[in-house]
Amino acid sequence: MTRQGYLIAMPALLILLAAYFVLAGSGFDTDFIIPRRIAKLCAMIVAAISLALSSIVFQTITGNRILTPAIMGYEAVYLFWQSLLVLLAGTASLTLLGNNGNFATSVAIMLAYSAFLQRWLFRSGNNTIWLLLLVGFVLTMVINTFSQFVQLRTSPGEFAIFQSFAQLSFDNLDRQKLGWAAGLLVLVIGIGWRSLALLDVLSLGRDQSISLGLDHKRQVRFLMALIAVLVAISTSLVGPSAFVGIFVANTAYALNPARKHKVTLPLGAGIAFGLFLIAQLMVEHVFDYKTTVGILINLTCGIWFLGLMLKQRNVT
Amino acid sequence: MTATSMLSIIFTALCAASLLLGVNEMTLAGLARFDHHSWLTLTASRFPRLIALVLSGAGLAISGVIMQQVVRNRFVEPATSGGLEAAKLGILMGLLLLPDQGPMIQMLLAMLFCFAACLIYVQLITRMAPRNVVVVPVVGLMYGSVLGAIAEFWAYSHNILQSMQGWMLGDFSKIVQGNYEIVLLILPAVVMSYVFAHRFTLMGMGEDIAKSLGLGWHGTVALSLLIVSATVSVTVIAVGTISFVGLVVPNLVAMWKGDNLARTLPMVALGGAVLMLACDLVGRFVIWPYEVPIGLTVGSIGGIIFLGLIVRRMA
Repeated sequence: MTRQGYLIAMPALLILLAAYFVLAGSGFDTDFIIPRRIAKLCAMIVAAISLALSSIVFQTITGNRILTPAIMGYEAVYLFWQSLLVLLAGTASLTLLGNNGNFATSVAIMLAYSAFLQRWLFRSGNNTIWLLLLVGFVLTMVINTFSQFVQLRTSPGEFAIFQSFAQLSFDNLDRQKLGWAAGLLVLVIGIGWRSLALLDVLSLGRDQSISLGLDHKRQVRFLMALIAVLVAISTSLVGPSAFVGIFVANTAYALNPARKHKVTLPLGAGIAFGLFLIAQLMVEHVFDYKTTVGILINLTCGIWFLGLMLKQRNVT
Repeated sequence: MTATSMLSIIFTALCAASLLLGVNEMTLAGLARFDHHSWLTLTASRFPRLIALVLSGAGLAISGVIMQQVVRNRFVEPATSGGLEAAKLGILMGLLLLPDQGPMIQMLLAMLFCFAACLIYVQLITRMAPRNVVVVPVVGLMYGSVLGAIAEFWAYSHNILQSMQGWMLGDFSKIVQGNYEIVLLILPAVVMSYVFAHRFTLMGMGEDIAKSLGLGWHGTVALSLLIVSATVSVTVIAVGTISFVGLVVPNLVAMWKGDNLARTLPMVALGGAVLMLACDLVGRFVIWPYEVPIGLTVGSIGGIIFLGLIVRRMA
């Protein structure tokens, strides 16, 4: 199939899969099953779009194909906040801030982290980005031991709460949160729309884009803020995504070698959505709930990522 | 006063504190009276714990420094190269497939997995030959998280995810006479690393130089990974996962004393033991009379020190 062929076939395939996901075995029960599944589907779409946008734009800014904001500590910060809530308030943490309160504070915390990151990220040369990545990883390690401790101390009920946000999953959905997330996403896309063409210039690298007349520093700062909001949306809606962003972005590049962002961004969103749908269907129909979407996606994307590192010796 | 003697004094003081302080009452006066209760506490709990702490601390710090020589990168240790997750996977396999066998089988499986994983990691890094120093631990961490995902996949389908997380967190409170003896297996690993210290220093100069100086490269790499995987699997079995000891201690020692392992190895070992003892004491007192597991205290204290090292390097 030609590359153009992919671009036409993919939406059709996605619609088919989505229809199957919503309707299979539903008995056309429009009271409970179908609305619930549609809500899940919406969560997948919102998460897929924000994940793809944040990963691809981040990779464009940093000029690197194996980084995503998710692994730069954003998710660690989110998880730290959530496990702190569970540790301090136990099961009451669910009601302590309310869903909206939790969502709002999570977004605020991630924006703060992003501001902190930016001050650091563009202070000096290229090396900083890898150091930051290491900092993100160390934070993740510290937070992981901390959450292990939380898991050790809590009752299985509290552990279930913890697991529900510590893993990528589409099952614990709150309609209101979904509404907020979707609204925020639309807002971000609206604000970022006019930067779409500039992204192609940015991908030429810092020096090139400055010589072409772009206010590089300002543009990057603006885009990084948008990325923080996008990461916050996807993480608080469906949980940490780790390597998914790398997979999504690189598959999109492979299908669209010209790398025009006008094509790459929607393509990436489509790929992410497809990945989520397939994983969810696999969990429901193949693995019979013996595993979770998060574990499945982590596993495949992680292995794929290692393959990428091996194949492309010069990515670093 | 030299640095080594200062470290020895701190070490001795911490050992004494670790023996004397604890929830269960045990006084020197009681020991002098040959009070049964005091002696029982000392021999059945405090001594085993001290030995386990010192050996695992020294062993982990040495594993860290050896890994750093193999990969020639300062930011590598078993926890940042997939070794820890691989050992976890091995233990999980032992538990699920051969549940009736004792901890020895689990340990052997853990060691095998850890060895294989470290070997693959070294191959991976050699093939990639990254230009940037930070890429090496980053790849290791990602590699580790893939191995972790496999373990999670497996543990989840058997519904033992929570208990796995529980026994994986490093914790010395369950160490008593009768179940700590496995830790003694670290001793030969430590001794071996000291005997071969010169070779490891040569190995740290890179394959070409080391070979031209007459080092059997592959043999030395295999030997060092064997030492590392033995230490890691023993610690994981006996006390659980403990990260950052292998990162923080060798880096601090190298900043101070340089890289000649034949000279610095005793300090690395001592430093690892001191860090573990100190973190253990902190963990024992934070929520007295209960205990915070050492995995948590080392994880946070070591993590903060390590972040400081990174920032220092960057500045």
